[in-house]
Amino acid sequence: MSARAENLLGRRLALLAILLIFLLPVAWLLTTAWKQSSQIFSIPPTLYFTPSLDQFRSAFAFFDIWSLVKSSLIISVGSAVLSLLLGVPAGYALARSRSRLAVGTAYFFLAIRMIPAVAALIPFYLLMRDIGLLGTWWAVILINTMLNCAFVTWMMFSYFRALPPDMEEAALTDGCTQFGAFWRVAVPSARSGMIASALFCIMFAWNDFLFAMFLTRTDAKPISVALLTAYGTQDITWGTLGALAHFSTIPIVLMALVLNRYFVQGATNGVQ
Amino acid sequence: MADLTASRTGLIPMSGDYFASRRAFLFLLAAPAVVYVIVFGLMPLAQGAWYSLFDYNLQRPNRTAWVGLGNYVRVFSDPAARAAIVNTFVFTIVGVTLQLIAGFAIALLLWRDDRFNRFCLAFILIPVTVTPLVVGLVFKAMLGADYGIVGYFLSQGGIGPRSGLLSDASTALWVLVAIDTWQWTPLMALILLAGLKSLPMDVLEAATADGATARQRFAMIVLPLMLPSVFLALVLRVMDAFRVFDIVYVTTGGGPGDATQTLMVLAAKEGLSFFNIGYASAIGNVTILFIALLASVLLLAVRGADRRINGR
Repeated sequence: MSARAENLLGRRLALLAILLIFLLPVAWLLTTAWKQSSQIFSIPPTLYFTPSLDQFRSAFAFFDIWSLVKSSLIISVGSAVLSLLLGVPAGYALARSRSRLAVGTAYFFLAIRMIPAVAALIPFYLLMRDIGLLGTWWAVILINTMLNCAFVTWMMFSYFRALPPDMEEAALTDGCTQFGAFWRVAVPSARSGMIASALFCIMFAWNDFLFAMFLTRTDAKPISVALLTAYGTQDITWGTLGALAHFSTIPIVLMALVLNRYFVQGATNGVQ
Repeated sequence: MADLTASRTGLIPMSGDYFASRRAFLFLLAAPAVVYVIVFGLMPLAQGAWYSLFDYNLQRPNRTAWVGLGNYVRVFSDPAARAAIVNTFVFTIVGVTLQLIAGFAIALLLWRDDRFNRFCLAFILIPVTVTPLVVGLVFKAMLGADYGIVGYFLSQGGIGPRSGLLSDASTALWVLVAIDTWQWTPLMALILLAGLKSLPMDVLEAATADGATARQRFAMIVLPLMLPSVFLALVLRVMDAFRVFDIVYVTTGGGPGDATQTLMVLAAKEGLSFFNIGYASAIGNVTILFIALLASVLLLAVRGADRRINGR
């Protein structure tokens, strides 16, 4: 083997080892759900086990899992839709505007995203209490949208700025309205940016438990909050928790893997 | 400059009317998002800033005494808050440094664009997508001294404190640094990889042709040219790490004692459990100030690095 091929093999082995470090902890939690309780913490750890659905049965017995997933879906999709509706036009306008204010406003949105969640939550909690939305899905959707539409605006701002305006101008010359040029020309060509934005909005809202914990009532709780309360409950084993964690982690992990191209774009574009 | 609005093709009728309607249209598109963020973000924050000047507790609403900067004095004198400030800085600086080193190494390994590396990148990014809540639970389960897979062997081997790494004041913060590093190193690697891929390949090839070793290329070309990307990644991660809440809340809740108390965990405890709105708002504002300060220093560094490279 030449030194070069050896080098490549070494790099690949190193990457596989690194991959294991990043995947094993999650894989371990998920496998606990397929073991019987006695096997989960057995010493030495069992590599081979007969899969069992017991943990899933007890998870379904303790929790109304479908209603938890439904809450999570409503909150994350709801805030993603609102964030895109607000953020895509704003990002476009800021990218196309020649006013000096535009870039400043874009940075204002970037700064909003850096506000710590807890710091935003405390006064927001009082606001929701005062206008009577405390306890509803709306409260969680509204605060997620506040942080996420700032993220979408910044992201779409950088997307549209990289997109030459020639097509829109050609459409305008052909008698297209301003809105038509935005909606039928600019928006379709920024599709990948919008998919990336939506992906991140859904992920942020789905993975949040702080806002949902303090802003929703029991019947509107999403899966993340259920996981947290399950953790503090005596009767619930790690296996049951692992079963519950399937519903919390797998949808997002799958989404990020399937839409990996957009995920990578979003993660690198969201900062630069 | 008026003709900035002119089209590249010069085909658009450029009457004053056009400019005015274009401006109005763009203004209308941007306005909803701006108004939304002001109403649901800035106004509550401003209100929080106002509350921070009062001894305001929701459980006794009639006794909101004006204390001026009293709450802020308390942030810097109260032992729990001082521990939180120190811990937050230690957590951020040590964690982000580790993530930078590990992330850079992984980015270099992934630099070559082939199928194997793209496959690895997709799966390495999984920790980033897992909710911090589950990440906290996983590590808590694994590190428990009595039953955790890792914790059991550590305590059997006499390594580390008997109560488990997360329950001992001398180790708990370092475990949290390790958990944060596990979760966010992949993101750091991804951002740095994007930087590596935008390096001018001709310069690197010319250096190779001139007989530069791999180490020389790294130290004299890659590293200096990567500085802007490095600082950008640092800005992002420092701001994120500084407002850490989820993993601390789930694993230790700030304990044992104040060993893992961070600013956001303390603010949540004061504001959302004890309803000390005034004090919690003060902690929140101090955190925002610290973040703004750290971000400006790092952004100045980005600009400096950019200037050195582009010779401007």
